[in-house]
Amino acid sequence: MSTINFAAREINCKIVYYGPGMSGKTTNLKHVFTKIPGHLRGEMVSLATEDERTLFFDFLPLDLGSVQGFKTRFHLYTVPGQVFYNASRKLILRGVDGIVFVADSAPNRLRANAESMRNLRENLIEHGIDVREVPMILQVNKRDLPDALPIEMIRAVVDPKQELMMFEAVADQGKGVFEALKAVSKMVLDRLSQPK
Amino acid sequence: MIEPSLALYGEAFERVEQHLDELLTATGVRYCLLVDRKGFVISHKEALWAPRPPALDSVATLIASNAAATGALASMLGERAFNEQIHQGENVTLYVEAAGDNALLGLIFDNSVPLGRVKVYTKKSLAQITDLLKVVQDAPAVKFDDEFASSAGALLDDLLG
Repeated sequence: MSTINFAAREINCKIVYYGPGMSGKTTNLKHVFTKIPGHLRGEMVSLATEDERTLFFDFLPLDLGSVQGFKTRFHLYTVPGQVFYNASRKLILRGVDGIVFVADSAPNRLRANAESMRNLRENLIEHGIDVREVPMILQVNKRDLPDALPIEMIRAVVDPKQELMMFEAVADQGKGVFEALKAVSKMVLDRLSQPK
Repeated sequence: MIEPSLALYGEAFERVEQHLDELLTATGVRYCLLVDRKGFVISHKEALWAPRPPALDSVATLIASNAAATGALASMLGERAFNEQIHQGENVTLYVEAAGDNALLGLIFDNSVPLGRVKVYTKKSLAQITDLLKVVQDAPAVKFDDEFASSAGALLDDLLG
C-alpha cells in the first residue's frame, strides 16, 4: 500500500517496470524523464553497468501535484532484466504499489517474456503478495520491429487469461509510454479510495 | 498482502521530529533522515550550516536499497541482519542504522564530527524512535473518498496527457 505521511501531507506510490533484459524498461523511464517538466520530476538515478545495462535499478520521482491537500508522488523504478540479477529484482519489488510489465516483441524473446512473468510471480509470492493484488499493466514494446510477433502470441504466453490492460509501445519513440504509466498510476490511486 | 505503510502523524510525528532535532544538536551532523524500507522519506532535518540539501528522494531510495542489499547479504551469511552501515569518504560520512523492522535512520556529516559520538547519540534516539514507530504501525489504515480518485485522475491527465 502507498505510504501516506499525514504530517507532511504526502502520498508516495512505488511503480516498478518489470520485464526481460533489453525489453525497454530503462528506455521508458528515460522518455518520461525527458518529457516531464523539470519542476515536476526529481533526478533520475541509474545504477548501471559500463555498457548501460541496469545493474540494480533506475529511479525517477514524479510529482503529480496536490490531491485533496496531499502532495502526491510516484516513484518509478526499473529492475535489471538479466536472469542472473534476480536478487536485485526481488529487493526492488519490496513495497511495490503498481507494475508495468514490459514485454519484448522480438521473436527470439518470446520465451524470455514468459520466463520474466513467471519470475515476477515467484518474486511477488516471496514478498507475500498475490499477483492479483497488485495493479499491473502489460506494455508490449518494440512494435516497430519488422518481424514483431503478433500481439496475441505475446499475450498468450505472459497473460493467457487476458486479465491485464494492454498497451502497444515503441518506447524509444515515446509511443505508449505515457499511456501505460497513466493507466497503472490511475489504478494505484483508485485503490486508495476503495475499501478492501 | 502488500507491505503495510507507515503513516506518521500527530503527536508521533512531532516527537520523531523532536528526536531528529536533538540528534542534530547533540552530534553536529548536517542531515538526519528517517526513511521507510520502501525508500520514502518519513521525516528529515537539516542543520542550519548544511549546504544545499541533496535530492532527498534519491538519497532515501539509495539508503533503503542499500540496506535491502546488505540485508540480503546478511541472510546469505547466516545473520538476521546487519543493523549498521557506515560509508566513509574523504570528506563525508553516511551512517545508517535500522529503526526497527520498518524504517532506517540515516545521518550525513563531515569529518569534523567524530563517528563515535554519532553512534552513541543515534543509538539513544533509535530506541525512542523505534517505540514511536511501533505505535504508529498499529494505527488503522486510512481511506480516501471517491472524490480523491477523480481529482487525482484529472491531475494525471494534466501530467501525462
